[in-house]
Amino acid sequence: MNKPEKVTLFIQCLVDTVFPETGAAMVTVLERLGLKLDCPSNQTCCGQPAFNAGHQREARAAAVKFLDIFEDAEVIVCPSGSCVNMVRNHYLELFADDPKMLVRAQAVSMKIYEFTEFLVDVLGVESVGARFPHKVTYHASCHLNRFLGVDRQPRTLLAHIDDMTLIEMKDADTCCGFGGTFAVKYSEISGAVLEEKVQNIVDSGAEVVTGCDMGCLMNIQGMLSRKNIPIEVKHIAQLLAEK
Amino acid sequence: MSTIAPEKYKENASKGIADPVLQKALGGLQDRLGPATEKLYNSQPEGHDMRPRAHQFRRKAIDNLDVLLSTLADKVRGHGGIVHFAKTAEEAVEICKKIALENDVKTVVKGKSMVTEEVGLNLALEKEGIEVYETDLGEYILQLSGEGPTHIVAPAIHKTRREIAELFTEKLGTPYTEDPPTLTRYARKALREKFLKADMGISGCNLACAETGHIVTVSNEGNIRMSTTLPKIHVAFMGMERIVANLEEQQSILRLMSMGAAAQEIGGYVSYVGGPAQADHSDGPQEFHLIIIDNGRSKILADPEFREMLCCIRCGACLNVCPVYGKIGGQAYGSPYCGPVGAVVTPLLFGINTSADLCAGETLCGACKQACPLEINLPRMLLALRSKLSDGDPDWQVQPKSKGENLLFSGWQRLNNNRKIYDTLLDLMRMLQHLLPAKQGMITRLPWPFSGWTANRNMKKLAPKTFMQQWKETKEKKDS
Amino acid sequence: MTTQKDFIGDISTALGRPTPAAVDLFTVAPTTAEQDILKNIRQRSPGERQPFIKTLQEVSVPLHLDFHPERSLEDIRQAIITLILEKDPEWGTKKSVVRWDHPLLNSLNLEAAAELKDISLYTTSPVAATLSAEERQQQRQQTRKEVEESFIGITSADYCIAATATLAMKTRPGQARSVSLVPSIHLAVVEESKLLATLEELYTLLKWDEAEQAEGLTNNLSLVSGPSKTGDIELVMVHGAHGPRELHLFLVADRS
Repeated sequence: MNKPEKVTLFIQCLVDTVFPETGAAMVTVLERLGLKLDCPSNQTCCGQPAFNAGHQREARAAAVKFLDIFEDAEVIVCPSGSCVNMVRNHYLELFADDPKMLVRAQAVSMKIYEFTEFLVDVLGVESVGARFPHKVTYHASCHLNRFLGVDRQPRTLLAHIDDMTLIEMKDADTCCGFGGTFAVKYSEISGAVLEEKVQNIVDSGAEVVTGCDMGCLMNIQGMLSRKNIPIEVKHIAQLLAEK
Repeated sequence: MSTIAPEKYKENASKGIADPVLQKALGGLQDRLGPATEKLYNSQPEGHDMRPRAHQFRRKAIDNLDVLLSTLADKVRGHGGIVHFAKTAEEAVEICKKIALENDVKTVVKGKSMVTEEVGLNLALEKEGIEVYETDLGEYILQLSGEGPTHIVAPAIHKTRREIAELFTEKLGTPYTEDPPTLTRYARKALREKFLKADMGISGCNLACAETGHIVTVSNEGNIRMSTTLPKIHVAFMGMERIVANLEEQQSILRLMSMGAAAQEIGGYVSYVGGPAQADHSDGPQEFHLIIIDNGRSKILADPEFREMLCCIRCGACLNVCPVYGKIGGQAYGSPYCGPVGAVVTPLLFGINTSADLCAGETLCGACKQACPLEINLPRMLLALRSKLSDGDPDWQVQPKSKGENLLFSGWQRLNNNRKIYDTLLDLMRMLQHLLPAKQGMITRLPWPFSGWTANRNMKKLAPKTFMQQWKETKEKKDS
Repeated sequence: MTTQKDFIGDISTALGRPTPAAVDLFTVAPTTAEQDILKNIRQRSPGERQPFIKTLQEVSVPLHLDFHPERSLEDIRQAIITLILEKDPEWGTKKSVVRWDHPLLNSLNLEAAAELKDISLYTTSPVAATLSAEERQQQRQQTRKEVEESFIGITSADYCIAATATLAMKTRPGQARSVSLVPSIHLAVVEESKLLATLEELYTLLKWDEAEQAEGLTNNLSLVSGPSKTGDIELVMVHGAHGPRELHLFLVADRS
């Protein structure tokens, strides 16, 4: 793919409502690269929470709305691997028995990218000229890493941030225990899984934990805060926007 | 012995999480086996093709199960064996009981077999006054202590050497020691007597080979070889899906199974059993019975969404990477089948509604699929089960699990469909969130239905403005 | 009771038959790759097998398999005699040894060793088809008694696989499977020409070699890789769970 004329932003609902600074950071990075951006302001959630909880009817309704809004885009970029996995992979399953919708879902599936994947694989960018003089550890979120196969891309971008020390934590690619409604319905199990993740982050000695999914990072932040551990949580876009 | 109680998932998970010995054991097991298995997968001469190809072999076998089972049955009969077919658990148990009673069997030694746990064999034989001994060391320990397994391959890892020492002293009358080699020797001695006097040996079947007409068993201890060599009768229990067409496919899956189970190139003892001892042979059982069991499997077979599950060979590789299993342990699943595999198999075999928590109680992180030697898509099937639980499904006798949750999500969908209402609700929530207890911008207690979240973590407050609002404002500024 | 017809019928229904079965279920001819493997094995010179011995040595260590350096029949005979004299029985004090009736083991002629005159040496003989059922039963009981009594069992193997230190043993008259299982110590004496590189080679032979095809896998084929082991107590590796505690391997150099 050549450099697109215009990038359409798909803002994960958590970023939209709780972490808008992550969205703003992504905008900063993309604009610095000279890209024209568009952001349909009637967008909402892609339907993943409903889908993962087994409510396919509701997920399908969300998917229809998503396709209505985004199908004319040239390229769609989202700061969440999990949401991209939903649109790229699960929409196809949701519409497996509906040939007309399936064609639309396939078309969108082909042009949606997770933020770091877009930078490295589409734009061919490895360094965005960022500087962040801190010790950072990276959490490889599950859907991004396993279902999209995106791991090298964020690590490449991180490796090119000036003055930053990247520390590999133990089991960086092990789940943080989020899992959407799982974290609420099975909070004790979720908390036990998270406990180990937080311990690994603490043991790494990093000042900041980063990743490509605000869902996981919100989960991690929740326990760091509960335990009064002064480690900051930042989406990778926020690090890449630092100068 | 395991009782089927998946409805106690949450309760039992709590116990597991609170057990420091279990936590240490699970951590050690996952740290050791997970990465070692992955390393082996990546070092095979067949390259990265090996696992997808093996999946195809299994899928082909399942798609042709009628042909393969007929072939296996014919060949085993040709080798002098006797083949039985059991539609249900009860029937499988009856067949075995009848063989035992007709041959005046007093003592049975068993190699580890999950399907005999599934059908509840031990209890039925014991009711007839027959002594039944589990001979896998881990299973033997659990039989002595009366517990269910924690892991498919290492069933007793939750027990410390001290507990085992006390157990052996009490039940076997051996001198107290916490030395694993000495404890192993005590069990070796106790079970050797049973092997030598047993008149029936029972095994499972890891993966039969149709074209040669052999069942295959794998162990590292040698207990299955003992159980199937020394007693005069060998009865093998086989779930009907444990078969593959030909020898070259069988070996590929067998090796993958060994890698998944114990990070080995091949299990220590692999036995191909085709029938009883031949007339001119000087040892081996005089009778060989093969019991092929359906017990709900043909229903799984008939459902295209779940047929893939029959490809599973129960190696336990998914347990060694699952973050949830790694915290709660195998007993929480209340089934002979635990871990990610159990979360799918248990509902399908024992009822989806009673196993609802097993279907919903995972993070869908995908580690299981990545670790599976056959790349079985467990997360996909968990999602399919969850969907049945929300909508209900007469074919599987599923009742919708929670009307409340259904209402919640249909409300959510209406909101999600209209950005204006969505924003209005956000405004409302933004006002209300100030009523919640908070510390440094982080909410410390959320109301129902989100209260679970704040049981062990805080939650950042909604931002004063959504990204969309900010975007519009910036855009307006630019435009003006 | 469910009949085979009903059982299989239910499966066919679940499969949505009458869709035809896959055509390649039972392979009938080796692939080109498999033909190459067969050719490789058949044309292999003793020199080409030497690297396998090194592999075998390396693999034996983590498996706790005692791979002995002796190569000539005479040296192996001496090493076995030493083992029999030095090792202690695990159960009781009487020293008995049982072995297969196998040409290679017969040629060791352990029975003639003066050092072993106080030790019972048993051989598992074939059960003659001419015997009555009762006589056959008696002979089997005798064999069983001897195997139980022995602290060392000596077998050969059809093949030895270097990459995994695996012994492949079919069951034949005179080659009782309990000899490699019930005694505490298993000694295997294998001709170097039986050495294969990988499990893939083994399975290719078992599947496509004409002699192997004619014999079949027999009613009991065992693949044994190292002594018995367990990690069931706190994942501590212990050797000698139920099968042999020790496995000693001797390779007889090619005499050609």
